[in-house]
Formats: sequence, structure tokens, C-alpha cells
Amino acid sequence: MGGNLYTRRMEEAYSTIFRQCVSLNTELHKLVPLAKQMHLLSSNAVSSAARAGSEGDAFRVLTQDIQLLGDDVSACIDDTQSIIDEIVRLASNLARLFSNYIIYINLKTRLEDDRSAHSLATKTTFFDGGQRLVAEEIKDNNHKMSRSLNKLTLLLSPISALVKKGEYLAVCSSVEAASAGEHGVSFEAVSSMLRELVGQLGEQSSRQKALLRDLSDSIDQQQQNQGKLFYAR
Amino acid sequence: MRVEQLYKKNAHSWMVMGRDAERREEVIDTNHYLVQNNGRGLLLDPGGVENFSVVAAEFSKHFELANVEAIFASHQDPDVISSLPLWIQANPDLIVYMPKIWVSFITHFGVKLENIRPIPDEGGTITLGGHDLEVIPAHYMHSSGNLSVYDPQSKILFSGDIGAALLPDDSTDLFVENFEEHTQYMEYFHRRWMPSNTAKARWIAEVRKRDVEMLCPQHGAIFKGENVARFLSWLENLDVGSAWSGVR
Repeated sequence: MGGNLYTRRMEEAYSTIFRQCVSLNTELHKLVPLAKQMHLLSSNAVSSAARAGSEGDAFRVLTQDIQLLGDDVSACIDDTQSIIDEIVRLASNLARLFSNYIIYINLKTRLEDDRSAHSLATKTTFFDGGQRLVAEEIKDNNHKMSRSLNKLTLLLSPISALVKKGEYLAVCSSVEAASAGEHGVSFEAVSSMLRELVGQLGEQSSRQKALLRDLSDSIDQQQQNQGKLFYAR
Repeated sequence: MRVEQLYKKNAHSWMVMGRDAERREEVIDTNHYLVQNNGRGLLLDPGGVENFSVVAAEFSKHFELANVEAIFASHQDPDVISSLPLWIQANPDLIVYMPKIWVSFITHFGVKLENIRPIPDEGGTITLGGHDLEVIPAHYMHSSGNLSVYDPQSKILFSGDIGAALLPDDSTDLFVENFEEHTQYMEYFHRRWMPSNTAKARWIAEVRKRDVEMLCPQHGAIFKGENVARFLSWLENLDVGSAWSGVR
């Protein structure tokens, strides 16, 4: 298989990877308002528990759990922002570096064609160093990208468990609110808001998992093509 | 792409490359200059990423590019210098002279500070193989940090965008043949891209202090002999910064 085919495949792969990184970045940013809403909800839960007076003891325990849930979601999100920023930067670097790699290939083809027609004052090997440097930077950026993706996957992995915990808390809150009768009316509102937020978190989590999976597949594919291209040359 | 020698005496020479017929239609045509002295090379405004392979391949026919020790960027535009990372990847020891105020902008192309030699607003000197080239301030002509290079030996002035012309695609002349006819390709460019009559007058006064045999712009044809003085007079009488009707 010729180098040109791998070149075309890699060009497509880099553009796909960059688009996927930008989509993942957008999805991850959507988690920030969700975490804020969870914190707001825990404040509402505190007031609801206070309004329920002595009937609100169970609410107070649930309120603490809602607060902890909000903290756990925030903790997951805080670190993901810097990592996804790094991933987008690496994807952008890779696209630029690959473009430079293609330019060197183009230049060397020109020089080889010219060498048959003219004598060249510059040794064709002069540009080998540049091309090699770019190839090394591509490999280095690829390794960094894989490492950052793994980190991101690890950071986001607790979200599924948090969604389950949130669903369980929403059910418990609803049950406690119902058994508290009129004292539990405002806590029922907290419970239904929690259910909604957790539902949104679950949807986000699924979308992110799918995006992460696609991105990892694209990177694996691109790394295979890269190996073949560098080997073909 | 046309390559011509503009000057050669002993171990000192100037070469120009321009009229890239292969370039994409939407990419402005650019001139690139290679100064050689005692086997050392200096590239002036080496161009954009778009034409790096053409420029490198053409100059490779005439000079050992491993001996290019420096690049000069008259200003920060992509058609002037966006190929810089590629040149530096090929030769990591390359020195890059540029207007000081653009250093933190040009580093966005991925260039490291260790390669950069900022030139202060007052201008300065570039020494190439023991020969001094004079760097003349040309700020606001058109970029706010803009420099010209004068070579006292060859009497060549590299003027960057000053003297530039947007020539028709079928134009192949490297030198201005009919000055009056040529002004139609320069007028809009200078009225639109040069913002200050004060800066213009100052630059013209600086250039007139020197004996200029050739005035070499980054776009369009080169002014030679009497056309240099004609160009300076034409520019002197042109109201620059006036191409947009919204300007009061």
C-alpha cells in the first residue's frame, strides 16, 4: 500500500479526531451548570428540611447525601476541564504537525523531480531532519493524547455510579416526603428536581462515554495508519 | 516560479523568486529574496506555509540551504512568515530577525524565543558572513511594526509591502517596465494598506538618504534605476489611509 493512501487516511483521521475532541469539550462543559444546579438543590433541601421542623429529621440526612452527591460530581468535573483543554490543544497540534509532515513530503517529491532535471545546490537530506522532527513530535503528541484520554476516562468513570446514587436518593427523598404528609411538600419538590438533574447527568454521561469511545477508536486507527505511513517512507 | 539573480559581485549576491504560477488562485503572489555573503545566506520574508515547498525547492537549486543562517521578517503577516516553523524544523539553529513588537505574536506560529532576535523600533544591523545590512524602521508602512533592509554594497532596498502591486495573473515581468502603467496596480494597495501619511513621509526621507539602485517589494515588480525615485515621488504625493470611504 502506498504512502499516499495512508496520508489521505491520516488527514481524514486528524480532522475527525479534532471534531470529536471539540464535541467532547462541548459536552463536558455542559456538566458545569449541572453541578451548580446540584449545589443549589442541596441549599433548597436544607431549607425544606428546616421548614419540616421535627418531622424533617430524615430529610436532613438525605440533604447531607444530596450535598455529597453535588460535591462528588463537582470533583469529577473540576479536573476534566484542564484535561479536555489539553486534549483539544493536542488535537490541534497534531493536525498542524501532520500538515507540516505533508509539506515536507511534497518538498522532497519536488526535490527528487528537480534532481533529475537540474543539479541541486542543497542536499536533499537537508530536509530529512525537519521531517524526522515533525514525525517525532507527532508520535509524542499521540502518546500524550492517549495518556490524557485514559485520564479523562478514569475521571469520568465514577459518574455512572453517581447517577445510580442520585436515582436512589431521589426515590428515598420521594418516599420520605410522602410519608411526612403536608410537612414533606417542599421536600417532594426537591426530590423531583433531583430526579430531573440526575436524569440529565445520566444522559450527559452516556453521550460522553460514546464520544470518548469514538475518539479512542479514531486515535487507535490513526496511530495504526501513522505507523504504516512512517514505515512506508 | 521565476528565480533571478539581482546582484552578484565576488561572494556577495541577491536573488529573487516570484510569480508562482502554481499557487492557488486565492493566495496572493509573493516575492522572496535570498541574500548571500561569503557562503552564508539570509532569507527575506520567506513566505507562507502555502508556498514553503515551492520556495525551498527553487532556492535549493541555487544555494545550499543548510548555509542559510537567518531569516528576516519585515512584519508579522502570514504571507510573510507563516512558513517559519518549517524552516526552523529543518534547521533548528536558524536565527529569525523580526520587529520587536511582533515577537509574542509570531511565537504563536510555534517558534521558540531562542531562535528569535528582536529588532528594536529604531532599527539596527544584520551581519551576514561579515557584511552589514542596515535595518530601517518602516513602522505603519503598513504594519505597526515594520522594517526595511538596505544593503549598501548592492544598493538594494528590500521594502516589504511598500511598493507592492497586485499584478494581473498573466503578468510575468519581475521589473517595472512602464512606471505610469504600473501605478494602477499599486494605488489601491497603498491607499488601503498604508495607514499614515506622517509615517510615509518619514520613511521616504530615510530612504532618500541612501543610494538605492533597486527597491524590492514583497509583492509585484521590482523598481530599478530611475523608477526608484519615480516611486518615491509617486508615494509622496499619494494620500494613504484613504481607500475606505468611511474614513473621515
